[in-house]
Order: sequence, then structure tokens, then C-alpha cells
Amino acid sequence: MSTIVDIVMSGLFQGSLYAMIAVGLALVWTTIGVFNFAHGVLMTVGAYIAWQLASSDALGLPIFIALPIALLASAAIGLLMQAAIVRPFIGRPDVVLLAVITTLAAASIFENGTLLIWGPRPMQLPPLAAGTVKIMGIGISAHQLIIILVTPVILAALWFFLTRMRLGLALRAVAQNEDACHLVGLNVAALYGLAFGLAAALAGLAGIFLGGFTFMSPTMGSEPLSKALVVVIFGGLGTIAGPIFAAYIIAFFEAISIYFIGFYWTPALLFAVLILTLMLKPEGLFSRRSRSLA
Amino acid sequence: MSTLLEIRGIETGYGRIKILHDVTLDNASGNIGLFGPNGHGKTTLLRCVSGLLRAWHGEIRFDGQVITNLPPRRIVERGLIHVSQGNRLFPDLTIRETLRLGAFPRRARAQEAQNIERVAALFPKLRERWSQRVRTLSGGERQMVSIAVALMSEPRLLILDEPTLGLAPRIKDELCDAIKLISQAGVKLVVVEQDVEFLLDLADHLYLINHGEVAAEVRPGDSMNHEAIMEMYFGRQTSALT
Repeated sequence: MSTIVDIVMSGLFQGSLYAMIAVGLALVWTTIGVFNFAHGVLMTVGAYIAWQLASSDALGLPIFIALPIALLASAAIGLLMQAAIVRPFIGRPDVVLLAVITTLAAASIFENGTLLIWGPRPMQLPPLAAGTVKIMGIGISAHQLIIILVTPVILAALWFFLTRMRLGLALRAVAQNEDACHLVGLNVAALYGLAFGLAAALAGLAGIFLGGFTFMSPTMGSEPLSKALVVVIFGGLGTIAGPIFAAYIIAFFEAISIYFIGFYWTPALLFAVLILTLMLKPEGLFSRRSRSLA
Repeated sequence: MSTLLEIRGIETGYGRIKILHDVTLDNASGNIGLFGPNGHGKTTLLRCVSGLLRAWHGEIRFDGQVITNLPPRRIVERGLIHVSQGNRLFPDLTIRETLRLGAFPRRARAQEAQNIERVAALFPKLRERWSQRVRTLSGGERQMVSIAVALMSEPRLLILDEPTLGLAPRIKDELCDAIKLISQAGVKLVVVEQDVEFLLDLADHLYLINHGEVAAEVRPGDSMNHEAIMEMYFGRQTSALT
């Protein structure tokens, strides 16, 4: 019994993190049409900014004040990053390839910048809430429980924004027909910025969630990014729901695999899933062959 | 009737290829009709007016104010709305969502509910398919949505680029009737159309665009019939008519 609870809790927790990361990737892919390899490092940056604000070794602000400031800072960094390394290439036929190069370069710059500013020593963020909660005989940290409960709310809010609010509709529209967007009076450049900023804030939040759970390091974003890559390929990038479902499926698969097969072989199995998906249904489980959101 | 849209000495093109050579339409009254062979600059001119394409030279005024090379959204905000040719719109949005997007300009938001009703009355076919995705619509229905979206933006001047292109006759008639109603409601039109009868019916002032220039014009009051227009198309007696 406790085994099952353990696996379920682990699956829900990892699924929440993967969903938060994957949705940001999907947001950028569906609006701008590029894959953002700097997405993982935006997690790192968000977590370190939060540390700078919240850690007792630094400013020591309460985490619930540090969190929104860190998210705004992440969004601003995402916005600037978009303006500097993506927007100049939009409209060129080779924008996808150029964005691979520029976002990989940005990832490297930010990773090393983090190393330079905060050093290689692993650090930890104060958790969102202290203490542990017992659920059916299994102790789970309050921090993890908050993440498990809050993530679906955030994802639902994002879904509501993208499908029910005019600005969200505009974000979805810009992916589908840029000229038509101009003709209904949308500010296309601003929408690209908004997509990137929003994705960066989601990445930052994932980073803060992770930083209060494990140790932070300048490379902390790369492993979750590779998992999120499996998620978005498995689920498909075409919809917002696809990566969310896929995130929880992959996380449960991972939790079960870790328990029964072991920690060592699990990443190999995940990549086997990735390869199988690419062979059998390259557009992803929940997606048609097109670029659109929701 | 004062001149809502004035175009003076416009030159533009794509890359280094010049398409329009010194196009001037500054004396139009009422609805403007553009006609002429394909590939001679009608669509290019309209794209330039709505800000999708930069003008190299010349000036475009809307309601007396210069709008040359403003960002498209600034032009939309002023009420100059362009329904582009064969617009695919947003394939994965529903009709209802697409119409909401049409009310994006601040000016149009307050009237959104009212305009939805207006549009639904004008195109009853669309109301039946409110939550259907645009990708699943026929060409005629999509054209209706294109015009409906434009009406949601509270247009003062509506640019219609070949609204009936490639449509079945029955759908075409339906669309033509709707466009006439829009015009009667006080929205000024700029129409590009290959159907000469429809164009004569709708436009007060016609311009023949040929080789990137205004080759001829038909002012209100000039008697004009189908044959004469055809002759203009094929290059006979052009000078006699201007």
C-alpha cells in the first residue's frame, strides 16, 4: 500500500514539474515556431534570483514576497532574450535552425553567468512551506504537497487564459496566420515577447519549485529540460493539453520504473520511449501534424 | 462626399522589384472599385494601404491624416480594415473565437456584443456553426467569417480584395447581398473584383490598374457599361474613356 502511495506521490510531483516546464516549451513553439534550448537555464536563473531574494544568506525576504519578484524577473529576462536572440531572425526561412544555435548559446552564457555570480557550491531555497504531511502512512514534505496541488491550478489558469481571454486567443492566433493578425490589429512583436516572457516565468516557477526540494546548481536546469524534451515529443507540441497529459504519464512511468527496475536504467527507458514515439507517432500522442495551441 | 482615402504617388514593390509606379487615387467619392488584369498591382496597392507592405515613395491619407507606413495595427485602430484575398484566417480557432479577436481594437470592444448580433444577422449561416473551427469551413463560409471579423473591428472603410473569388454562384450572390447591406449601413468600401457587374453595382468610382499604374478611371456619372469595361481590360479605346 505504502509503495503505491509512494509511487503516486512521486509521479504527481515530478509530473507537476515536467508539466510546468513542457507547457512553457509548447507556448514558445506554438507561437514563435522555434524550440527554446535556453528554457532549462531560465529555470536555473529563476531559482537563483529567488535564492538571492529569499535565502537567509542573502536578502532574507519571505519566500512569498521573493517568489513573485523572481517570476517577474524571469519574465523580463525571457522577454529580453527573445528580443535579442530570436526576434531578429523571425521571418527568415532558416529561423528554426538559427534559434537552435542562439538559444543553445544563450543557455551556455546564462549557465556560466550563474556559475560566475553565485559559484559552484550547491545551495538550497527555503521551501514554500516547512514540515511534512502524512498521507496514508507516507510522509511527504509540505513543499511537495503544495506543488502537487498548485500546479494543476496554474495550468488550468493558463488554459483559461489561452482559450477564454482575448489576449490568449491572440497568442494562439499569432501562431496560425501572421498577416491575418496584423489585419485584425494585433501587435505581433509584442505577442511574441509575451509568449516568451510567460514561458520564462513558468520556467522560473519550476526552478523555484525544484530549488526548494533539491540542491540548486548552475546546471540544475539541464536534466529537467531533457525530461521535458521527452515529454513534449511524447505528447506532441501541437496543443497545450498534450504536453500536460504527457508530463504526468511520463512522470508516473518514471516513478514506476525507478521503483521496479531501478534508478540506473530509468533514463535509458525514458529515451527508449522517446525513440519509439519518434518512430511510431512522430507528431506526438495528442497532436495533429500542425503548429497550434489548445 | 469627402474623400476618405487619398493615395498620392505611391511606389512600392517586393525586394528590388518595383510593382507600383506612382499610383494616385485622390479624387474618389463614394465606394472605390479597382479592376484590371491579375498581377498588375491591385493587391500590392491594398497591402501598402493597410501597412503590410512599406511604401517606397508617396503618401496615403485616411480621413485627412497621413497613415503611410504606420504599423498595421495603428491603421486598424483608425477604422481602415483590410479583408485580404483568400484569407485562411486562423484555422484552429472557432468562428466565435475569431470574431472575438476581430473586436481586439480598443475602439471596438465596447460594441462587441452589438456587433456580434449584427454579424449573425448578416450571415445567419455562421451562427449555426459558432463553435466550429475555421479550418473545417468551406471557402464561402471562410470568406463570410473574414468579412464578419472585419465588421467586428468597427470599420469606417472596408477594403475587400476579391471577396467572391472562386465561390459557387449561390454563395457568391449571398455574399454580394451582404456586402451591399454593409455599404448601405454607411461603411465606405474599396473593392477589387473580377465580376464587373457586381463592381459596377457597388462602386461609384472605378480605377483600372494596369502595369502598376492607374491606366483609366470611371468617375461617378460617367456612363459605363459592361462592354466598355471589357474594352478597357483588353486595352482598346482606353484613352477615349479617361
